[in-house]
Amino acid sequence: MKIIASYSIKGGVGKTAASVNLAYASAKAGNETLLVDLDPQGASSFYFRIGASKKENRGYFFSKKNRLLKQIRGSNYKRLDILPANLSFRNFDIMLNNMSKSKKRLKDILSSLENEYDLIILDCPPNINLLSENVFNAADMVLVPVIPTTLSERTYEQLLTFFKNNGYKRKIIHPFFSMAQSKNSLHHQSIADLEKRHPEFLKSIISFSTEIERMGIHREPVLAYASKKSYVQSYRTLFNEIVKILGKKK
Amino acid sequence: MKTSKINDTRYLLPDDLTKKHFIETLKSYFSVKQIENTSENFSILETFEWNLYRHNILAVRHQNQSITLWNEENLFDDELSFEIEEINARDKFWWDFPDSEAKDILKPMIDLRALHPVYKGVLKIETLNLQNDDGKVLVFCQLISIYEPEKPRTPVMRQVSLSPVTGYGREYEQAVKLLASMQSFKPSLTPLDSLLGAIGLAPTPYTVKPVFKFPHTLSARSAVSSIITTMIEKQRLTEQGIVKDIDTEFLHHYRVAIRMVRAAIVQLREVFPAQDVSMLKQRFGDLARETNHLRDLDVFILDKQRYMDLLPESMKNDLLPMFDDFEKNRQVEAKRISRWIGSRAYRQEMDELQALFINGYSAVETQWSEKTTIELAVTKIQKTYTKIYKAALKINNTTPDEKIHDIRIDCKKLRYLLYFFGSEFKKKKIKVVANHLKSLQDKLGIFNDLTVQGDFLKNYLLQLEHKPKKDIMLIASLGGLISTLYTMQVQEREKCIKELSIFSNDSNRQLFKETFIINTKRK
Ligand SMILES: Nc1ncnc2c1ncn2[C@@H]1O[C@H](COP(=O)(O)OP(=O)(O)OP(=O)(O)O)[C@@H](O)[C@H]1O
Ligand SMILES: [Mg+2]
Repeated sequence: MKIIASYSIKGGVGKTAASVNLAYASAKAGNETLLVDLDPQGASSFYFRIGASKKENRGYFFSKKNRLLKQIRGSNYKRLDILPANLSFRNFDIMLNNMSKSKKRLKDILSSLENEYDLIILDCPPNINLLSENVFNAADMVLVPVIPTTLSERTYEQLLTFFKNNGYKRKIIHPFFSMAQSKNSLHHQSIADLEKRHPEFLKSIISFSTEIERMGIHREPVLAYASKKSYVQSYRTLFNEIVKILGKKK
Repeated sequence: MKTSKINDTRYLLPDDLTKKHFIETLKSYFSVKQIENTSENFSILETFEWNLYRHNILAVRHQNQSITLWNEENLFDDELSFEIEEINARDKFWWDFPDSEAKDILKPMIDLRALHPVYKGVLKIETLNLQNDDGKVLVFCQLISIYEPEKPRTPVMRQVSLSPVTGYGREYEQAVKLLASMQSFKPSLTPLDSLLGAIGLAPTPYTVKPVFKFPHTLSARSAVSSIITTMIEKQRLTEQGIVKDIDTEFLHHYRVAIRMVRAAIVQLREVFPAQDVSMLKQRFGDLARETNHLRDLDVFILDKQRYMDLLPESMKNDLLPMFDDFEKNRQVEAKRISRWIGSRAYRQEMDELQALFINGYSAVETQWSEKTTIELAVTKIQKTYTKIYKAALKINNTTPDEKIHDIRIDCKKLRYLLYFFGSEFKKKKIKVVANHLKSLQDKLGIFNDLTVQGDFLKNYLLQLEHKPKKDIMLIASLGGLISTLYTMQVQEREKCIKELSIFSNDSNRQLFKETFIINTKRK
């Protein structure tokens, strides 16, 4: 079982769009897949037509496996399950602070799902806090969508610095370009610059497209309703690239 | 290996249930969403030995020249299938197919066997997910229908599979109840068995290896008749495959079966009158000899790559003209054999031979014909083993090759005796004996094959002399090949000598003495 986090300090960069489509691609490739919606806003649960859990089920997440399993819902696709967002997620940090081993809680509970899933994808809220540190400890790969602008570059480098200063392995960070606009010359320039400075950028690029934007109307992964379009297929290409990288690691 | 959480439930729908009623019933509780609907001509592919079935795999060949393989737990699940795309109409061996995961799966399973259609029909797959009003799927539901091509209205089989969606257990129970209310039938067989059964296919895996078990008191002649009858049946089952030239295994098994018949006649000759033995020997021998040449060619052609790999890179292709010759000869020879086995004369001869044994061979009593089977078995096995170990003791580095070949033939005889009578003795011990023997035979077999191959190539080389145009490079590569085979043969010889000394050592002799005795309790 592997764990991928879709993460960025910045909001609105395409973390959820990537999580949802990668999870779909993974299930279609035959993997038992779990998408964990860690964002209390519940965007990825929404895309799969699963309501956020209404009860403030305080604390369940970081304690018992059975209670966790009970929250899981199947999606409309075989082999793709969702752990929906929960309002109590707003208080993650307070909750975690009160627990022992507060930075490894997520890792522990997720590894108890070893026999159930081949791949777990974490859709993370923006910010750096105790929850994100749990994510960094749990994930085999931290996938970072980066919109090719100068500002995004700075936030990306903030993340690298944070990893360095706090002793996390920088190797697990894999950035990719998100919402890239082919007609925008500034984007072109940024991509060229960033690739030079940061060779760790993945080859697959997710372009800006209205088809992707419309996911909220369809309430489906874009791969499910527009799989033939080339800029939609790049999610599948991205997934294949990720699988190769995860396959190489032991 | 991917995780599998398959817990589908399958139901066969009753014939008189209309599709409309089926959908209406589901709609009483769910909204039914038809996602996908494919309908096409298809065929089910198998080998003569049902190799895929034995590995719980279903292979379907589609209209569009592709093949899908399913593990039986994932039958008709598109995402958990293995595909072979863009095949040609005549592709039937694994090596004919383009590289793919599916090809890698097939290779060890079917080996030299060809895939051929065992069923043709129309396959319709409908996904009918059961949802709530918000468009959330609550139960996955798939309807598989199979039709005969001439009867597109009445399905031969309709199977519904339901699979639960995590967290919607109650809805799943509800769907199960609805299906039960329609008198659908939940088969207790495995998914593949119930599918094949529903369309009238009964897999009967063929194997040339016989299993015999005789009543203790059965007369020796009756036992031998029964051995021969069984092997003739096995031989005859391969005939159609040879006539149609489906794959080379048919002829191979045909010959194995005849070889066992001949072994029974010659090695157990005492149960028949002497003049009958020479008549039978002659008639079965003729059948075998007729096919010698085709088998030789098959073996060479199958090993083409191995031969080429024995030569330096730059010379590999120089052998190709020889293989072209072989392949041309094979075509001619295969046609001849096909016509021969398809002929009335052949059929008459086989019917006659078969009739001689089917109710027990009838002839005057002989010294051995009325003794018990076990007496015959013990006497023959002990005698053959004694002969082998005595000969083995005399083997050293200066022994001529022929002596080693003689031992190989006796080992083969011993092997056949174990096939015939093995079940009369203690199972565990027989297993040990058989393993020893197999290990020895493998070495002797390689040694012999190298000799035969070398001779075959030499003959081919000599015959090139009469050709008007001489291909120097072919001749050179043949020379290279013959000397390589010879070097290998010398090495193998040493291994054989070593193995023979083990086979004839004291503990093995003791083992034979203990194992093959009269009055053993069978286990
Ligand atoms: N490639 C794209 N092309 C066009 N629109 C996109 C693309 N990717 C995402 N969007 C849209 O941009 C918005 C933000 O995307 P998304 O929700 O995936 O980002 P996020 O990083 O998860 O945001 P948040 O930080 O709020 O969780 C959404 O409305 C989404 O539909
Ligand atoms: Mg988001």
